[in-house]
Amino acid sequence: MNPLVPLPLLIPLAAAFLLGLLNKRCPRWFADSIAILAASATGVVSLILMHESALRPIVYWYGAWTPRSGIALGVDFYVDPFSAGLAAFVCLLALASFIFSLHYFDSVGNLFHVLMLGFIAAMCGFSLSGDLFNLFVYFELMSVAAFALCGYKTEEPSTQQGAINFAVLNTIGAFLALLGLGMFYARTGALNLAQIGRTLGHDSGVLVVTSFVFVMCGLLVKAAAFPFHFWLADAHAVAPTPVCVLFSGIMVELGVYAVARVYWSLMDGALAPHRSALTGVLLVVGTMTALLGACMCFAQRHIKRLLAFSTISHTGLLIIGFALLKPGALAGAALYLIGHGAAKGALFLVAGILLHRCGSIDEAHLYGRGRKMPWTGAVFVLGGFGLVGLIPFGTFAGEHAIEFIAERNHQGWLDIVFFLAVTITAAAVFRVYARVFLGRGTRLSSGARLKTVDERRETSGPHNHVPAVMFLPAFALGLLAIAAGCIPGETHAVLTAACAFADHAGYQARVLEGAFLPIQAVASEHAPLLSSVLRSLGATLAAIALAVFAISPAWDRGRIYSRPFARSMAFIRRLHSGRVGDYVAYFAFGVAAIGIALAFLIAS
Amino acid sequence: MNRRVRRWFFLICACAIFGLFVSAVRQMPTFGHYRGPYGDILNRETVYERHITDVVTAVNFDWRGIDTLGEESILFLSVIGTLVLLRKPSSEVNDSHDENDTADKRKGREIPLPSAATRVATLGLVGPLVVFGLYIVAHGHLTPGGGFQGGVILATAPLLVYLAGDLKSFKRIANHETVQIGEALGLLGFLILGLPGMIRGGAYLRNVLPLGTSGHVFSGGMIAPINVCTGVAVSAGLVAVTYVFLEHTLETRLRGRR
Repeated sequence: MNPLVPLPLLIPLAAAFLLGLLNKRCPRWFADSIAILAASATGVVSLILMHESALRPIVYWYGAWTPRSGIALGVDFYVDPFSAGLAAFVCLLALASFIFSLHYFDSVGNLFHVLMLGFIAAMCGFSLSGDLFNLFVYFELMSVAAFALCGYKTEEPSTQQGAINFAVLNTIGAFLALLGLGMFYARTGALNLAQIGRTLGHDSGVLVVTSFVFVMCGLLVKAAAFPFHFWLADAHAVAPTPVCVLFSGIMVELGVYAVARVYWSLMDGALAPHRSALTGVLLVVGTMTALLGACMCFAQRHIKRLLAFSTISHTGLLIIGFALLKPGALAGAALYLIGHGAAKGALFLVAGILLHRCGSIDEAHLYGRGRKMPWTGAVFVLGGFGLVGLIPFGTFAGEHAIEFIAERNHQGWLDIVFFLAVTITAAAVFRVYARVFLGRGTRLSSGARLKTVDERRETSGPHNHVPAVMFLPAFALGLLAIAAGCIPGETHAVLTAACAFADHAGYQARVLEGAFLPIQAVASEHAPLLSSVLRSLGATLAAIALAVFAISPAWDRGRIYSRPFARSMAFIRRLHSGRVGDYVAYFAFGVAAIGIALAFLIAS
Repeated sequence: MNRRVRRWFFLICACAIFGLFVSAVRQMPTFGHYRGPYGDILNRETVYERHITDVVTAVNFDWRGIDTLGEESILFLSVIGTLVLLRKPSSEVNDSHDENDTADKRKGREIPLPSAATRVATLGLVGPLVVFGLYIVAHGHLTPGGGFQGGVILATAPLLVYLAGDLKSFKRIANHETVQIGEALGLLGFLILGLPGMIRGGAYLRNVLPLGTSGHVFSGGMIAPINVCTGVAVSAGLVAVTYVFLEHTLETRLRGRR
């Protein structure tokens, strides 16, 4: 068996244990170099695996327990270009965060590195695992690391609230997923994804549907889908900036990935006749997430919260990409994920630079204070263009593919959802750019009715310049957001991988029989590029126009005339109360609504 | 949402979920009618192929050993996370507390030691518990138990010392440094024990040791060493967590004693 497969899990874990062992006995530079080395090595291994699995997915059985007469005995890692590519992307973002945080946090020994390395290992294992219980183990590992990282700045009172909301919601989600997993085991007596899928056959009874709904809702909490998304903004607002890059750039998206993996490997046989039901339910969830996230994003002035809501909005778009249940849309979602993750990472790093330079993260306080940092501002705009999906960013390629499939399936209205979501989120970014980096437009009244948002610096040392180690990772991620859409032959390769990903029977044969099934190259259909280009340019212009309008005096005057709009916005804002009890109630509502809708649609 | 609205809203939703759950459970196989072949195969093969008489341990450390590595990492990260979250804020580190300490430090007003009966009972239990814990760890592959269970039993020993009021000894045993080294070493040991199987051409966590005779202590191949590593890691982890939670109380009480 390919000896490289377990390495993306083992390298970061070993590095974490080693640093835990040495703890305070090793100097800071040593911990930094071990962490950077481990992240790079893991990234390189994942890239090699992605390359090797491009033609034929690799199945790796731990303990060499290969299946016997089609029955899985052990735990497997399933490496295909998607899973290995995600692991590589995890490492890339982690590398950027490690470099960015080179002179961060000298308070608690090297425990920050230990937590980050454990977090990376969990996310790599989560991408690669082919076993439902094993997936859950990494889900938990990821959560534990994430809770501690989120509450890292213990000196601020708000931190505890944000981290507790995060921990409570995610733990409840994990419980629900575990319950669903147990029900699957009771029904099939198997834990391997392929094995469960095969045993289920075409059974779409209440038991199977409920189990799937429980597992899916558990994972959707991680994915911050409406109405499970409430924890995300609270957590992002308080987490240290380098951690936000990983939260927003990949952890949330991994939730969507896991739902897709579970669906295609496990439920596609059972739900094949009822696809339209699942598509309908998930499209509603995705649309609500995208639009609600966008509105809330525009209403923020705490920059990290603003970016967090934009993540929610874009995750909604990813969910739409998956909800169409077509390989083409899945390929689009994969491209979108990379493009968005890189752009969002760059934006968060710029927010971190602002916090370092100016000691504030509030749009009102920062007015005009970024004028001396033109290059940093340029990266911020680059991230904004990434969000709006301007050609040639990675998000453009993804959106183009998803919309093409949507139109072919008579879901053309999704174009409007995409347009609104990307325009509003990008407009919020441009608005911040104009106020902070250009010093243009109306000033926000700081104080008065709005509570001032305050956040302490996360860095020590002089604050009068932008260190290269902070700027370069942000710049690199901005470039990556463009590169993700420009690699020649990329779209075709991703589409091929997506077809293999969505091959339910092929997955089972590869895993359980070890069948030699090379991935078939797919003839890609040429979607009309021109209309997409026009749409992308239109969205960009609309975003800029909206941003200009938002900073003009007319915006404040206009508010008076738009009572109903203002009222509904106030209602939505009130929903995000920050009280964990409310969030749990919404969670219960979400599970009940999704479960009953799906069970009803499938039964009828 | 105010409290009352929230309660009703939640209850209605929870009832809906419960209804869904009940209708799902009604379709489950009835009690005692296990459907899958997985458990049957493992029950049959474990003793023949692995020479292990405790199938649960075999599932945990052999068939699905990688799950256990993940679970132990969860424990490890939880301990690290607790250390991070409960650390003293840097503003308090140099604050010596002595000035405005509310504790009564006059002579004859110290917190009394636990009664002699408590001390005898708890300290007397320490020895047997350590032996029992080691036994459970070492016999994981033969009888119910193993690294997790044994590790928890071992971790109670220092707690008994704490209950006996011997705070200085407790602090010496449960001191951060020692415990953290133990935990990380146990985990590194587990991780490294999986490597020979990979190097010899099989897969990670594949057995490379002789299997021995079923029922003997030296049997079952890699399970015993992995169990020992797990035992070390789990006991150290639990001690570390309790120590972090008790640290503040411990310091005030130790100061009062002086």
